Amino acid sequence: MIRKEAMKIILDQIALSPIISANGFMSRDLFELKEKISNFYMIGSMGLASSIGLGVALKNPRKKIYVFDGDGNILMNLGSLVTTGYLCPKNLIHIIFDNNSHESTGGQPTASNEIELSKFGQVCNYKVFTITDKTSLKNCFKKIKKINQSVMIVIKISKSDVRSHRVSLKPEFIKKRFMNSLKLKK
Amino acid sequence: MTNSFQIKIFDYLQKHNIQNFIGVPDSTLKEFISYGLKNKKIIVTTREEEAIGIATGMCLSGSDSLVFMQNAGFANSLSTITSLVKLYKIPMIFLIGWRGYLKDDAPEHLQIGKIQPELIKIIELPSKTLSENNWKKNCDWAIKKIKNNSPCALIVKREFHD
Repeated sequence: MIRKEAMKIILDQIALSPIISANGFMSRDLFELKEKISNFYMIGSMGLASSIGLGVALKNPRKKIYVFDGDGNILMNLGSLVTTGYLCPKNLIHIIFDNNSHESTGGQPTASNEIELSKFGQVCNYKVFTITDKTSLKNCFKKIKKINQSVMIVIKISKSDVRSHRVSLKPEFIKKRFMNSLKLKK
Repeated sequence: MTNSFQIKIFDYLQKHNIQNFIGVPDSTLKEFISYGLKNKKIIVTTREEEAIGIATGMCLSGSDSLVFMQNAGFANSLSTITSLVKLYKIPMIFLIGWRGYLKDDAPEHLQIGKIQPELIKIIELPSKTLSENNWKKNCDWAIKKIKNNSPCALIVKREFHD
C-alpha cells in the first residue's frame, strides 16, 4: 500500500472532517485526492501538523480532528505527543503514514523501522493502531468511532514514485476558508 | 519588572479576550507564568515551535492566543514564525523575555541578546518593549495588531541577575 492508496481509503471514511496535513508530499496527495475547505495544508513549518491539530482539537471538542502526518514529520516533534497525552483531547485522530523515509526530500531513511512510533503513542495515552493492509485500515475506522480518547494510527506504507501536484492555493486563502469551515456545524 | 506588573499584564490581556497562554517557561517572565499557572490558564509545551503550532490551531478556531518564551526560544522559532505565522498571517502575540540585555548576563545569552532587536526587525515582526510606564499602551497596541490579523511581539527586558 502506498500513501495515496491509504489516504484514499481514509478519505472515504471521514466525510468532510477537518484535516491538518503535514508539509511535503502529504499535503500534495491530499490536495489531489480530495480538495475541500476543511483541509489545512501546512506547507511550511515542518513537524508541526500534530501541534496545530492539538490546538484545533482542544477548541472544537464536538468535531473529530484528523492529522495527516509522516514518520519524518512526527520525529521532528515527538514532544507534541507528550503535550497531547497530558491534555488528553478525546477528538484528535493522529494518522502517521510511515514509509520509513523522508520521501519529500529524496527518500532518505528515518529510524521508524527500528524505533516503533506506536510505542510513543502508547506511553502518551493514545489508543494506538498499527496497520499494514487495506482491510484492517477500513476496519480500524469502524472501531475508532466509539473510542473516547486521542487515537494514533500508524500505517506502514511503501515508498512510491507517484507524485502529486503542489498545493496551488495561497496560504491566507487556505487559512480563511479553514476557519470558516470550523464554524459550520458539520 | 516588578511582580505586580507582570500579573497586571496577564489580567489585562485576559480581560481583552486573549484566551490562551502557551509557551516554554522563562525566568524573566516567571511572575507572568506562575500567575497563569495558578489560575489554570497556561499550557506549558516541550519546545517553542510546538507552542506556536498549538496557538495556531487555536487562532484558526477563532480563539486569541499568546505564546511566551525566552529569546533563546525565539531563535529556535524563526522557521516556524516565517513559514507558518507570517506566511498564513496567523494573528498571535509573542511575549519574549530578553536575556542578554544586560552586558554582564550569563555568557550563553550574550550573542542572542545582542542581535535580538535586529533579528525581530529582519523577520518583520512588529514589536514593542514593555516597561512599567508603557505596558498598558503597548498591550493595547498588540491587541489591536492581532485584531487586524497581524502577529506581533511584546518584549520584556531582563534587568536583574539571579
